[in-house]
Amino acid sequence: MPDILSNTVALSRIQFALTAIFHMLWPVLTTGLAIYLIVIEGLWLKTKNITYYHHARFWSKIYVLNFGIGVASGLPMAFQFGLNWAPFSEAVGNFFGTVLGFEGTMAFMLEASFLGIMLFGWERVPPAVHWLSTILVAFGANLSTFWILSANSWLQTPAGGIFVNGKFVVQDYFQAIANPFMVNSFLHMFFATFETSLFVIGGISAWYILNQRHTEFFVRSLKIVLAIAIAVAPLQIFIGHLSAEQVYHYQPAKLAAMEAQWDTIPAGARADWSLLAVPNEQKEANDWEIKVPGALSYLLELQPKLDQPVKGLKEWTSANRPHMVGLIYYSFRTMVFIGLFLAGLVVVTVVQWWRGKIQPEALAQQKWLMRAWVFAGPLGYIAVEAGWIVRCVGRQPWIVYGEMRTVDAVSHLPAGEVLFSLLGLTLLYTVIFSAALYFGARIILKGPNLSLPVPRTAILAPLQHAPDTRPVEAK
Amino acid sequence: MEPLQPLQQFLPQVWFFILGLFLFLYVLLDGFDLGVGILSLTASSEERRTILMTSLGNVWDANETWLILMGGSLFGAFPLAYATILNALYLPAVIMVVGLILRAVSFEFRENAENKLVWNIMFGVGSFLAALGQGFALGTVFEGIKVDEAGHFAGGIWDWLTWRSLIVALTLIQGYVLIGSTYLILKTTGELQTNYYKTATIATWTTLIGAVFITVSTPVLSVQLRQQLLTPPLLYVFAAIPILGVSLIALLLRSLRRREEVSPLVYTFLLFCLSFVGLGFVIFPNIIPPSVTIYEAAASPSSLVFMLTFIGFLIPILLAYNIYNYAVFRGKIVAGESY
Repeated sequence: MPDILSNTVALSRIQFALTAIFHMLWPVLTTGLAIYLIVIEGLWLKTKNITYYHHARFWSKIYVLNFGIGVASGLPMAFQFGLNWAPFSEAVGNFFGTVLGFEGTMAFMLEASFLGIMLFGWERVPPAVHWLSTILVAFGANLSTFWILSANSWLQTPAGGIFVNGKFVVQDYFQAIANPFMVNSFLHMFFATFETSLFVIGGISAWYILNQRHTEFFVRSLKIVLAIAIAVAPLQIFIGHLSAEQVYHYQPAKLAAMEAQWDTIPAGARADWSLLAVPNEQKEANDWEIKVPGALSYLLELQPKLDQPVKGLKEWTSANRPHMVGLIYYSFRTMVFIGLFLAGLVVVTVVQWWRGKIQPEALAQQKWLMRAWVFAGPLGYIAVEAGWIVRCVGRQPWIVYGEMRTVDAVSHLPAGEVLFSLLGLTLLYTVIFSAALYFGARIILKGPNLSLPVPRTAILAPLQHAPDTRPVEAK
Repeated sequence: MEPLQPLQQFLPQVWFFILGLFLFLYVLLDGFDLGVGILSLTASSEERRTILMTSLGNVWDANETWLILMGGSLFGAFPLAYATILNALYLPAVIMVVGLILRAVSFEFRENAENKLVWNIMFGVGSFLAALGQGFALGTVFEGIKVDEAGHFAGGIWDWLTWRSLIVALTLIQGYVLIGSTYLILKTTGELQTNYYKTATIATWTTLIGAVFITVSTPVLSVQLRQQLLTPPLLYVFAAIPILGVSLIALLLRSLRRREEVSPLVYTFLLFCLSFVGLGFVIFPNIIPPSVTIYEAAASPSSLVFMLTFIGFLIPILLAYNIYNYAVFRGKIVAGESY
């Protein structure tokens, strides 16, 4: 290990991985939860049923806890390119910096400014304006997903210009923004944040239902989750599949690592899908593996035998292909299995709903189902992180695929300096992560406040001149 | 060097101005934010600390976002400057980022915590560290960064730590405390407000001492800056700024004596604005003082045009909804307003 401690490249990569993995935990929830908040606030405006207002206030509490940490942990991301990756920043700043600038001005500011009104403005602006603020917060958050994914996709499939003397010269900005990976990658991440959030909401709701606290309130949450997730979870599998096909076409070395495929499978042969394996990089082979016969040919080309060969890792020299094959291989499988499990769980639960079994009394008899939802609560996060590991570790040894190597992109800082910041951030993140879990648990243990009166603004607003259809207890 | 085409001259200048604007808005807005954070360390009761925190609740995110805007735009418009400056300022930048993280999470954790004091202290310390890191960064950029012919950082890891940058850092902290206390004068009432009249008066004097020191020592210590500043047209600017500054300070002190509520903040804003204009004149046309100009560090003209098309027209919109946010929450702090 002492090798690593004096290796600036390795330390800078670890620091980037740490800050990215930690940062990702928070906006994943806020971008998706914001859309959910639009739905329940819209339901409140439409039905005037105060319970939706209480839903909005309760889930906002979880939202804000995550948002603050998301903003805070995003700061190292914004500066790290210059701090640790100065040659990279200089080489690709023309495009990459432009996109990060767009993200800040178009997305972040919108989200941050209207967040104040969304969280504190209940008594200060009319409900319709409040709803509009929530929509703008959600729009800002998802717009920033778009820009980040456009920038990252450009690293995977650079387009719209050429490298001259190691510097990227842009010829067509729109082509660079809409690079080959962009659409699928954005959609995959958009649905990933949404699906993760839905399962967090579903998991927390299931926990309350299991503990018979506010059952009616949380059955309502769960039903809204189900109504959305039945579309989102299968769609996500489909888009994930499209993304993998793109990797096959544009980044064959990454696909080989995802599949731990060392030898090329020639055209005309049957390709098996590896279910479990122990990859061995020294031997350039798998020590042991279980395969599903023919499955890979079906996955890639929907037929028993391949028209195009699947290249194996040995097609590239060691310096030109990704390493840590085991990590890439298992991260990919983790993501895929979680995606399948979540979709399966939604389908089963919707069937139960259709059979009339998603009601407070009936759910008391279905502890297994609610336990499965509690278990599923954090799985989305794991899938998202695993997916990013596949995406970025699988891109190595390139920082800009095929154009710029990661080793050439790093700032020439003394290793000790990077180690210092790495240790500092590790300590800080550990404290923040533990504290966030603790305070998140407190919010959940405390539960929703059902005695909150309707905001003054809602009573004064002309909207409320419509006949009062609120339940008796709210009047 | 070949003479620059008008467009190659104009575009980097526009971006220098836009970045200056973002940085100025950041320093102004997060300035009072960080100032209130530092002041919260001296607040005597839980109730008072709650009022201080509430005064920031709806704005701290947006205020901090100006820094991200600045970072992102600097990356896009002057990639070389983004890379070299951050490279040179590694440790102060890490201190600042750690400080900003600490204060942001303390904000959320305090809301849910039983033992609020721990998070209050974290919030204050975080604010202080962020201000300190920024002060050292500002001081170092002002002093100059050692670069090679290609404009890459060529100095050591402790270059930023000099007694001059320390004085800039301490002065910036005083400035933040000043703007924080004038903001609190606007947002609070009664005994608490009286307190901040006193704090603001003291902070005016301490900021003044630092500012005078920096202003006087700059031409004395730097030969290059002396030549630059003591020849027209900069000479007039350099002469006008201290006169305007002293008048503004006199007006500020008078408004504090008269217990006015809005004007202290306005005068402080103007003072910050004046210092910024002064700083801009000293640094321009460099972006990495003392030797790399905005023309050398700029991204390609097509990048600058592309960014300008999208970001330029957004600036008025950004300002408009930021102002709307402040307008919605105008007036004195209502205790107990929380999510």
